[in-house]
Amino acid sequence: MLITGIKSRPVYDELTPMASGLIHLAAGQGSGGKALVRLLRAMTPEQLAATTVLYSTESFTGQNYLIDLQQFKVRDLAVFPTNADAVSGLDAYLATAKMGTRLYLTGSEGFIGTSMQVATSYGMNRDEVLREHAGSFVRRVWCAHCGHYSENVTHRIFECPGCELNLIVRDHYSGRLAAFQGVKADSEVPGEMPENEELDT
Amino acid sequence: MTAISESAAFKTDETYTPEGKYQFRNSPEGVRRLPFPFPDDDYMYSMNLEPHVPAGNGALRAAFDIDEHYVSECTHRAQMLSDMPGVHYLALPHMLEAQWDLLELIFESYARDFPEHFTLTKNGNEWRWQNRLLGIDDSFTFGDPSTLPMDPMEYATRQAQGEFVVLEEKDNTLVIGAGMTTQRADYSLKFNLGMSFFEFHGPVPKLHEMGILDRALKFLLRMKPGHPVRRVNWSLTVNPRLETSVETLPEWAPDRATVNGENAGEKVYLRIELQPLHRLPRSNAIVFPVRTYLVSLAELVEYAPDWAKRIHRALASLDPELVDYKGFHRYHEAAVEWLSRHDDGAPLATGYPWAPEGIQPGGN
Repeated sequence: MLITGIKSRPVYDELTPMASGLIHLAAGQGSGGKALVRLLRAMTPEQLAATTVLYSTESFTGQNYLIDLQQFKVRDLAVFPTNADAVSGLDAYLATAKMGTRLYLTGSEGFIGTSMQVATSYGMNRDEVLREHAGSFVRRVWCAHCGHYSENVTHRIFECPGCELNLIVRDHYSGRLAAFQGVKADSEVPGEMPENEELDT
Repeated sequence: MTAISESAAFKTDETYTPEGKYQFRNSPEGVRRLPFPFPDDDYMYSMNLEPHVPAGNGALRAAFDIDEHYVSECTHRAQMLSDMPGVHYLALPHMLEAQWDLLELIFESYARDFPEHFTLTKNGNEWRWQNRLLGIDDSFTFGDPSTLPMDPMEYATRQAQGEFVVLEEKDNTLVIGAGMTTQRADYSLKFNLGMSFFEFHGPVPKLHEMGILDRALKFLLRMKPGHPVRRVNWSLTVNPRLETSVETLPEWAPDRATVNGENAGEKVYLRIELQPLHRLPRSNAIVFPVRTYLVSLAELVEYAPDWAKRIHRALASLDPELVDYKGFHRYHEAAVEWLSRHDDGAPLATGYPWAPEGIQPGGN
C-alpha cells in the first residue's frame, strides 16, 4: 500500500540573492530564520535597502531568529505570530508588488507550499522564486476522504481531525494543494493497521 | 461486421455500483473485441506507444471506441457527478480553448465512426449535435460557452465512454489542466490537478529508473494534431466497479479481502485501459483519454480461452513491486490459482491481438 521514493516532493534550493531582482521579498518561518540571516548577509547594501522581510515566529522546533534579523538595515521587517498570518501578509505584499520582484521562501514544507500557492496565484514564475527548506520535514496532509488539512504531521499513521479515520500518509505531494495525501490506513481490512513509523522529520 | 455487432444491443440496465448490485456482464462478442493488453507471457512496462490508426473490427476500429456498455456508462457518469460534485470533473480556468478542442474531437470522431448513432451538423460556428443513443438533439455556438448548459468538456464527456484528462504544455512538460474522471483507478483528480508529467507519475514504481518517462515525455511533446498515438495499460479490480477513486477508497478497498481461489473467476475483473492520445489543434494541449473495459476472469475463460491462458502466465510471473503498486497483493495468489486450472501450457502467439500474427481470443 505504501509507496516510497517521493518523485512529486519539491526539490528545494538554497537562498542566495537574485541579481536580476529590483525588489526582494523574503518570507520565512521558525528555523527558516537562519537561512534568511544567511541571505541578508550575502546582500549588498543596495539590495538590503530594497528588501522586505516577513518572519513568522511560529515554530515546530522552537527556533526563533528574530533578534538576528533585526540587525539588518532592510526596507521593512514585518513580524507575524503565526505562519497563516505570514502567508496572508505575503498575499498583501504581492498584491502591490511590481515587476522585478524576487521572492525567497524558507521554513517548513507546509509554509513554503502555502506561500507558493499565493505566489502562483499572482502568476510568479519558478525562476522568480527560491525556496529553502528548514527545520524538520513535518508534513502538511490533505485527507482524501473529508478534505481536511492537517499541519505538522510527524507519523506515517495519524487520526484525521476532520473525519476521525486513521490515515496513512502517502509519499505523494500536490503543489496545488500544498500537501501530501492521506488515505484510510485500514481500508482493506478494518482494524488491520500497517506498521506506524516516524516520517522523515 | 461492424464495431458493434448487430446482436449486441446497447444495454441500459447495467450498474457499476454495489447499490445497483453490479448488474454488469459482457456478451461473447463484447469480450472478443477487447484491446487485450498482454502481448507476451511475461509482462513488464514498456512505452508501447504506436500510431493510433484503425486496426481490425474491434475496439481499435474507431478513434474513440464505444461498445454495448455506452448507455449504462453515461448513466453511471451522471450519477457519480451528482453524488460527489467537484471531485470527478475539474478544469483550471485557462483551459476553455482546450475544452472546445476536445468537444470538437469527440463529436467529430463519433459522428464519423458511428454515423448510425451520432450526427454533427455545422453551419459556420452554429453547430447541431444529435446523439440518438442518449436522445439528445442540441444546437449551440462553437466557442461560446453561454450556449451550452455546462462547460464544453463536461458536456461532451458526459456523452462519451472513458475518462479524459487534458494536459497543457508548459515549460517543456505536460501539466494536468482538466479532467473528467468518474472511472479513475486509485488516484485523486483534485490532488493531481496542476501536476507535471513526472509529478503525477511519481508513485509508479520503476518507470523513472527505467528512463521510460523521459522518453515518453519527449515523444509526446513532439506530437502533432491529426497524428494520434495509443497505448494500452491494465490493472485488476474486484467487482465490475468503475469508480475506484482515492476519495472513495474506504468503500471499495474491503472488496479486495473477499476474493478466494473459488470465487476469483467471478469476482476478479481485468481492467483494460485503452489510451488514444491526441494533440489538440487550437490550444496545443494533449488529451489523454482512458477508455476502460471490464471483463471478469470467468468471462475470459468462457469466451476467450487463449487470453485467459495468457493472463494466467503474465500474472504468475509479475514483478512483486507491480503487484503491490497495482493494489492486488491480497488476491494475486487466488487469481493465479483460479486461472491455472484453465491453462494447459500450450504455446501462445506473441503480439497484441490487433497486430498481424498477434494473440487471438481462441475458442469458438
